[in-house]
Amino acid sequence: MKSDEASDIAVSVDKVERTLNVRGIQTHIFEAGSPATAPLLYLHGTFLGNLWLEFHNILAQNFHVFAPDIPGFGLTERPNWMRDMSDYILYLHDLLDTLGLRKTIIVGHSIGGWMAAEFAIWYPERVDKLVLSNAAGIRVKGSPIANLFAMSPQEIAMASFDNLAAAMPLMPKEFNTDYLLSQYRQLTTLATLAWNPTYDPTLERRLERINSPTLIVWGQNDRLIPQVYGETLHRLIDHSELIQLEGTGHMPMFEKPAEWCSIIREFLHK
Amino acid sequence: MNKLTFHYFHLMPWPYLPADFDEKYDSAWVTLPNSIYDPIKGNALYNRYLDEIERADRLGWDSVIVNEHHQNAYGTMPSPNLMAAALTQRVKRAKIGIVGNALPLHDDPLRVAEEIAMLDVLSGGRIISGFVRGTGMEYFSYNINPTISRERMDEAHDLIIQAWTRPGPFAFEGEHYNYRYVNIWPRPIQQPPPIWLPGTASMETIDFAAKHKYPYMTVFMPMNQRQRAYDIYRQLAEEKYGYEAQPEQLAFCVPCYIAENDDIAMREAEQYIMWLFDKGLKVRPQFFVPPGYMSERSLKGMLEGGGFGQKRRFKELIETGVIIVGSVDTVIEKLSYYTDVLHAGMLVTGGHVGEIPDYLVLKTQELMAKEVMPHFRDKSVATQTDQPVVTLP
Repeated sequence: MKSDEASDIAVSVDKVERTLNVRGIQTHIFEAGSPATAPLLYLHGTFLGNLWLEFHNILAQNFHVFAPDIPGFGLTERPNWMRDMSDYILYLHDLLDTLGLRKTIIVGHSIGGWMAAEFAIWYPERVDKLVLSNAAGIRVKGSPIANLFAMSPQEIAMASFDNLAAAMPLMPKEFNTDYLLSQYRQLTTLATLAWNPTYDPTLERRLERINSPTLIVWGQNDRLIPQVYGETLHRLIDHSELIQLEGTGHMPMFEKPAEWCSIIREFLHK
Repeated sequence: MNKLTFHYFHLMPWPYLPADFDEKYDSAWVTLPNSIYDPIKGNALYNRYLDEIERADRLGWDSVIVNEHHQNAYGTMPSPNLMAAALTQRVKRAKIGIVGNALPLHDDPLRVAEEIAMLDVLSGGRIISGFVRGTGMEYFSYNINPTISRERMDEAHDLIIQAWTRPGPFAFEGEHYNYRYVNIWPRPIQQPPPIWLPGTASMETIDFAAKHKYPYMTVFMPMNQRQRAYDIYRQLAEEKYGYEAQPEQLAFCVPCYIAENDDIAMREAEQYIMWLFDKGLKVRPQFFVPPGYMSERSLKGMLEGGGFGQKRRFKELIETGVIIVGSVDTVIEKLSYYTDVLHAGMLVTGGHVGEIPDYLVLKTQELMAKEVMPHFRDKSVATQTDQPVVTLP
């Protein structure tokens, strides 16, 4: 499918935007797609909350998509006690309960991919199928992930995107103090979870507990989380398949939304 | 009582940066390759710096001060307590300040409590113990999570004060630090050693200092920011904590250079003092404020105040009061503004910046000691430059 065809499809989807109380955490969430289709929880990466883009629309053609802002990102505030990955896993459990989802597909990108993998380890019975895209979480010795904390916004953009035009949805309307503070707040959330270590050394051993079919889809030129991470996840997760997407890096859902969605749809429909 | 006390502060910089430093490196911190450091030259430098500090003691400074920084050319004292230990054997009279140990960087603050206690015993009760959080850069160098920096600071502070003053053994049960047995040997002579808090005007640090009646030291800041910080301190002291802040609670760290007249001082000082601002403090902006290191309120203040990443020229640094350069009379006039208008009573300054030759350091040291200090000393109390400030029984 070419991306222009995808855009044609995308226009027709109606989304609902609301704020849910998830055990006291006011969670901003988008929802779209037919409730008759399989539920799909999308977990975004750092700086990527409060967005509804083409790839969400395409996924919503075939799935009942839930796209929350993870606490500390987008419009969902992170309470000060929420500092550990385990807090996020419990939160996701509460979120599924609040949404009334007994079992769901989870698609996670970057830090959201880390959360998705952790969740699938702890609550395998709640995960229908798992998709990890350019996901953080594991350690690959000798190939550390990029240090986002030491990079300027320009450097982060350059390292994230192969095609900077695809970064347009992330450009602020105004480059002011509020914007800078919001970026700082989100980076603080990431630091809370992943300043040191930038991975969870126990994941390597625990990933074998994931029993749902798993797709690992990776933008091949990822300069933040290199593709050796995708290969390693594939090796560590039974029943997983790995697809590398050419001509894109850390942000395949931004740069190649049609291809990325089509790979995922094909996997989920197997 | 003295209107102003004088504290000789040394960073122990590594001044020998390569000629292409400006073009080739974006930071004198964290990532500047340590191949640039030459340990043989370092040996000579450390000893020269210690000689210089020893001289400050003989010239009548009230204290000499070292501090902690990591992986950089700006200040080569990753362990200031080691330098303080060396100074206990060289500095016979003045107090010895470590301003300060960067508490949140250390996973074991009991070690800091022990070392300061050792130093206090070794020096005969002459230790001033500064506590700092460390710069943002240090959180990269030590890989300590900056989002819990302030919590660790507060908790380590409580632990150390208790370790010094409460009879042990006792248990300390914190969020970040846990000890079943706090029972340090030796205990410090001073109960407790005086604490100083340097800061760059974040509300949280000023409040912490005012709460505990600790001297608050403004560092390398323009005069208007220093004034604001002192005003906040005084206001907090009075309205929140119920006491009147005294001049000896308000310190200012200001690079000073003194010469025969203003013209000579300006001419001689510029290249050395600008080393500090252009090279020593050249920092990748992301290192300066790691995520969570500052509260959003403080960061907002900094962003809106424009006090971030701006490059200031020599004359501007003088005009805004970040540094003091001039003749004895000029320096007295500028320091009098602190004592008479801001009611701040502790000057923290050193002579050594960049590749300044030792004879120029000596000139500033001597002019300060012989010409400037007497102006601010209480005439009724003769300054005993040969007597220890603390007399043991």
